[in-house]
Amino acid sequence: MSQHDHELERRARDLYLRASRDVDPAMAGRLRAARRTALERPSPHSTVRRVLIPASAFAVVALATLMVWQPLGGPSSAPPAVVQAVDATDPSDLPPDADSTDPTLYKDLQFYSWLAYNDSNGQGRSTK
Amino acid sequence: MEHEDGKREDAEKAVNGSLALDSASLEDLRDVPASMDAFLAGIERRAWRMAEIHLGNRDDGLDAVQDAMLRLVRHYADKPAQEWTPLFWGILRRRIVDLQRRRKVRSIVVGWIGGGHDDDGAELPAWEPADDAPDPSARLQDSQAYGDIVAAVRKLPRRQREAFTFRVMEGLDVAETAEAMGCSDGSVKTHLSRAMHALREHLEAWR
Repeated sequence: MSQHDHELERRARDLYLRASRDVDPAMAGRLRAARRTALERPSPHSTVRRVLIPASAFAVVALATLMVWQPLGGPSSAPPAVVQAVDATDPSDLPPDADSTDPTLYKDLQFYSWLAYNDSNGQGRSTK
Repeated sequence: MEHEDGKREDAEKAVNGSLALDSASLEDLRDVPASMDAFLAGIERRAWRMAEIHLGNRDDGLDAVQDAMLRLVRHYADKPAQEWTPLFWGILRRRIVDLQRRRKVRSIVVGWIGGGHDDDGAELPAWEPADDAPDPSARLQDSQAYGDIVAAVRKLPRRQREAFTFRVMEGLDVAETAEAMGCSDGSVKTHLSRAMHALREHLEAWR
């Protein structure tokens, strides 16, 4: 680097530093105010922490309470719902299709009910 | 309360220190700051001058510095104080680039809606923010010389301008300049070399 470059660098730096020193009072005041604002504003992380940590703690305590209380409830708690499994694939359980079934079937519904009743009773007897 | 007073005193010392700047005392500014307040107090005026050089506007410069301060406090206050200097200049550089890009987009939009040409079809100058304040160099004893160097620096391409202002004017070392510019040490040296070459031509009268 030449002597001229050193001189250029030195002079540029001096002028820049002197210009920084000679900032007018109005701008200096605005810079000071900007600094105060930056330092006083709380960081969003701390705000989030302030809200999230108690909320998480409350949620954990509530969950633990619920888990302890639930087994103690025992018999008084509602019985589990009984789910009846229906085999929808068995065609015999399906009602007869009105379009493809003989209309006389519907005329003698009482007969078929009686037949089905006896048939089931007969099966029950035969199994005994 | 006493702690707050101590911090306030540190900040005042930093401001006073920055008022007595010359190139010999620049190294003293590299001392580890006692608090974030002291750090910002010591750097705020130089940061504003730096932003003003790059943006050519006092208020835009202030906006950039204020935003850089906020971001440093918000995101990096927990970092060791030694790291604040390159972090701050890096944040400020990005803010300056953002403002320059926004200004460019505004100029394009003004051009689209017809503001770029007068009634005769002649092109109007690109939109620039109003700056009613007195010339920033008017208060300087050698305002002409400062005006010359600022004008020459503004003519440089952006990366060369950043390398020159951070490395030469602000006095960051190569590694700090590279961190602030977000590039390698080698790139800093290349940009700086080109900047010096261009400035030698622009500032021929300084010989």
